[in-house]
Amino acid sequence: MAALSFEAVSYRYPGAEAPALDGIDVRIDPGQLVLLVGSSGSGKSTLLRAALGLVPHFHGGELRGRVTVAGLDTRDHRPAELARHVGLVFQDPEAQLVMGRPDREAAFGLENLGHAPHEIGIRAREALAAVGASPIAHRPISVLSGGEQQRVAIASVLAMGQPILLLDEPTSQLDPVVAEELLGLVVRINRDRGVTVVLAEHRTGRLFAEADRVIAMEDGRITVDASPAVAARALRGAAAWVLPPVTQAFARSGREELPLTVRDARALAPPQPPSPAVTLPEAPVATAIVSGHKQLGDVAALDGVSTGFGAGRVTALIGENGAGKTTLARVACGLLELDRGRLRPAPSRAGYVGQDPAHYLVHDTVADEVAYALRNLGVAAGERERRVGETLEQLELTAFRARHPRDLSSGERQRLAIASVVVMEPELLVLDEPTRGVDGLRKARLVELVRTLAAQGTAVVVVTHDMDFAAEAADVVTSMAAGRVLADRAPRESLASGIFFVSQLGLALGRASLADAVALLTEPRQAARV
Amino acid sequence: MRPLPAALVCAAPLLIAVAAWNPLWLAAATIGAGLLLLAAPPPRRLYAVTAISSGVIVFALNPFVSVQGLTVLWQGPHIPILDTQVTAEELAFGAGAGMRVAASALAVAAFVRLADADLLLRAVARIAPRSAMIAALATRMVPALERDAAGMVTAARTRAARMSSPRTAAGLLGPLLATALERSLGVAEAMEARGYGGPGRTRAPERPPGRRDWALVAVGAAATGLVAAALAAGATGYRYYDTLGDPLQPEAIAGALALAALMAAAAGMVRWLR
Repeated sequence: MAALSFEAVSYRYPGAEAPALDGIDVRIDPGQLVLLVGSSGSGKSTLLRAALGLVPHFHGGELRGRVTVAGLDTRDHRPAELARHVGLVFQDPEAQLVMGRPDREAAFGLENLGHAPHEIGIRAREALAAVGASPIAHRPISVLSGGEQQRVAIASVLAMGQPILLLDEPTSQLDPVVAEELLGLVVRINRDRGVTVVLAEHRTGRLFAEADRVIAMEDGRITVDASPAVAARALRGAAAWVLPPVTQAFARSGREELPLTVRDARALAPPQPPSPAVTLPEAPVATAIVSGHKQLGDVAALDGVSTGFGAGRVTALIGENGAGKTTLARVACGLLELDRGRLRPAPSRAGYVGQDPAHYLVHDTVADEVAYALRNLGVAAGERERRVGETLEQLELTAFRARHPRDLSSGERQRLAIASVVVMEPELLVLDEPTRGVDGLRKARLVELVRTLAAQGTAVVVVTHDMDFAAEAADVVTSMAAGRVLADRAPRESLASGIFFVSQLGLALGRASLADAVALLTEPRQAARV
Repeated sequence: MRPLPAALVCAAPLLIAVAAWNPLWLAAATIGAGLLLLAAPPPRRLYAVTAISSGVIVFALNPFVSVQGLTVLWQGPHIPILDTQVTAEELAFGAGAGMRVAASALAVAAFVRLADADLLLRAVARIAPRSAMIAALATRMVPALERDAAGMVTAARTRAARMSSPRTAAGLLGPLLATALERSLGVAEAMEARGYGGPGRTRAPERPPGRRDWALVAVGAAATGLVAAALAAGATGYRYYDTLGDPLQPEAIAGALALAALMAAAAGMVRWLR
């Protein structure tokens, strides 16, 4: 019997014109590890929801075909019944935590499934320990960071111990160290306990080769369903951005071999030491220099920090969850004041795009949303219209101009939030985790955008856990820990020679960015031709 | 804190606020409820500001909407609809009514901040799972609303909005509510996905109540008992019109002092429990 089975499944959300799932036929056997890839809005999340019966029981809409979970038809069984067989970790941790404390959150599902009371505490504690959340088990969930909340959300599903585990971008808010630990845990659960795992993820670097199958989706359809090696060959053309960075580098350099892991890539092209002349580009005029201390509750969020952000530069702030990255960025924007120290020079106009794009959705149309800041600044109507049009074009939102912002997908909302700030042409622009929920193709466009803005003289600061994005976008990588700046380094040095906070290409080839890696891989062949 | 002791200690000032008119009793209830809220975990400011400002508004408006009392303190110009003759009785009644409003709001706020929402949810879930789900969504909504409000203000500030403008602030209320509703839907979906509403629900064992919990139950029961007895004996009444009665009756002084002492003791214990 299949763990999950979709037979000719099509689904349309209530009021939607296009189907979210269109003729899905797929069977997933018990114990398989399946990686689900595809662009934002391609139907991955809907597929996962359908596997738990949330589509259509919770969302309504029109479902055709048949979905079965462990032999149970989801039409005949509600999600609460199916939850005995399948667990789902959602993308947004804040929207899936029910209780007030992590230990109770981990116990919640077990209580619902009717586990014996003495067993609940043990399983909840084990699950929290597995994701490194034991130290925060008794803290109020409302004070936890996004990454900590994500860990709790994962633990609360792991505790239930169902034979099928679905995860929708579980690592989008986690720093690389924790993300790696978590993905290792998921693989271990699959290998050791035979749990069927279906995982939707944009950052495919770690899992692509581990999967038994890779399923690629586009416009609600399955375009590829094959083993990782076969899928990599099928996707190497126009959809190469779903592949792991090392695979992309080999595909783009025209090589026949497509390694799926760092190890395979090293075997094919031994890593090179970082370029000897790794130096930071000449320090430009600083748009903002932050030096001082900031206390948030009991924590020294900034502890004697002293760093600046230069005009025309893209600075990536990296570090573990709680390192003080967001606090530093907010201080630089003038949104938080230092307890001691100063912000000098301070940017005359700063824009901050936070982690939750919903906070930027306060108008009835996308165009009004983008125009909001310009109206506040008193920009004349004609000029306003021109800048709104240009910004919508730049962020690929022109088609949604008259749409209500809340009707947009999460990736589109993210772009709208950025557009609504970028339109002001700020002197300093901070993007806090801008790649959360953003697919590889859009991520590449985001790299282009920040590079363009920097070329126009904007000081761009990107707070990110996405080392591959940092490698592509940044001129400077500022590493932080415990409220302090550890180092300002060039990406080639920082992201190619680090241990954990390093891009996959840095690990594999000693080159942080895709362009450098492709150049490295094409060099020998060009030399041979000469 | 467990819901039962929280309910008991908050019930006493709430009962006074609802049923009593004696200014001494009302002052004791307002101070007591305020102390309880002060001892509760944060956030408290929004609750305190809302409760106290509501009371102040009632106090300030009463002399101008009420036409009673014989001790005239001030005679203003004639303004249609409003009564511009201010009497001592109207001011005293306004103070009493304001304290009733403030004390009841503070007592409810103290309960919201003191009672453990998870334990409350578990208790209600056994009897009425759907109601418990709504309660869970509501309790999640309050802190999420606060965070979203802060996030929206930041987002507006970074887009050059003047947050001092009431119009700008008011314009964020609708989107704030929409965001809160979106989140609630997400939580409701997650609850279903984790088997909520299925048959055979069990409960994880909780730490049994300790001596401190029982001590608080005792203080709360004593305060509620005192108030119930005073109400039953008619010792909490007071005459505001046509002329003010004497509030300083020995039984009112003794009762109000006892209530204030019990509330202070309860607040101290709450602090100790935290």
